[in-house]
Amino acid sequence: MVDLAMHMMDIVQNAVRANATKIDIGFLEYSRDATLTFSVNDNGSGMTPETVEKLEDPFFTTRTTRRVGLGVPFLKMSSEQAGGSLKVVSSPGVGTRIEAVYRTDNPDCLPLGDLAGYLVLLLVANPGIRFSFRYKMDENEFSLDTGEWTEQGITEFSKNEMAPAVKEYIHENLKELYKNRNTESYLC
Amino acid sequence: MAGIKTLADLKRKQEEVKTQIDLRDKAENPGSQVQVKVAMATCGIASGAKNVMDFFVRELPKRGIGAVVTQTGCMGYCFAEPTVEITIPGKDPIVFGYVDPAKADEIIERYIKQGELVDGIIPQNYNTITNTD
Repeated sequence: MVDLAMHMMDIVQNAVRANATKIDIGFLEYSRDATLTFSVNDNGSGMTPETVEKLEDPFFTTRTTRRVGLGVPFLKMSSEQAGGSLKVVSSPGVGTRIEAVYRTDNPDCLPLGDLAGYLVLLLVANPGIRFSFRYKMDENEFSLDTGEWTEQGITEFSKNEMAPAVKEYIHENLKELYKNRNTESYLC
Repeated sequence: MAGIKTLADLKRKQEEVKTQIDLRDKAENPGSQVQVKVAMATCGIASGAKNVMDFFVRELPKRGIGAVVTQTGCMGYCFAEPTVEITIPGKDPIVFGYVDPAKADEIIERYIKQGELVDGIIPQNYNTITNTD
């Protein structure tokens, strides 16, 4: 995992596999305390406290195709390397919230990567799931909610033909937002 | 074309491609579309599955192929990532390993369009790799 967009794709897959119907992705960047909080909330099947405890173990996985599960351990590693932390809150039948904090004043803070590109692939591949995405940087923010899109008549966002347009929309808005970034931040 | 920055732009774009989408949806019911599943677990992402999936999402409509591109978890072939499972209607699914955009191009042109088998197929009973050289 060389950037946060890859982590996003990876962690959201867990929510998809937990049969979530609504997935909220958040990036909250605060220049005052030099942190970036990446979070994924889902309304999937959730986990018992015992399972949550085992999550950080790379040799724990629920899948049967292989014996290792590295998604969450990698996220923990990359956030802690950047002076941050990882927190998982889950309850069976309700859903899961996973939250990774990165310090943006730490040179080991991961780059954001192609958030727009990965997000579009998530929309294309999971048309049945309602996604919301929010990137907040101090007082500015960009957010989208595919449920609201549908209400406003943008119903074909998960079609291959629409993918380039949706990507451009997200990319342009994020680019605009990134202009406000504090120059001291290592985030890029 | 001017950039797409607002939801109104997005909606306008939707109108533009709507006829294309409708044509495709009318011509083929979902059961008759080619299914492309890109393995997108930790192993797939780390080996560049995104470029491959981007390629399929971009190129299939361009080449006039009605297809559903989705992602799946790890199929257990981590050594051969990125892997892609292609299901042509009426045929058994086939898994291709070590796929990059060039390979994806070959898969579209030769396997999807003409039904020819191409190199890189992972046989179904292939569970472990015992000898790499």
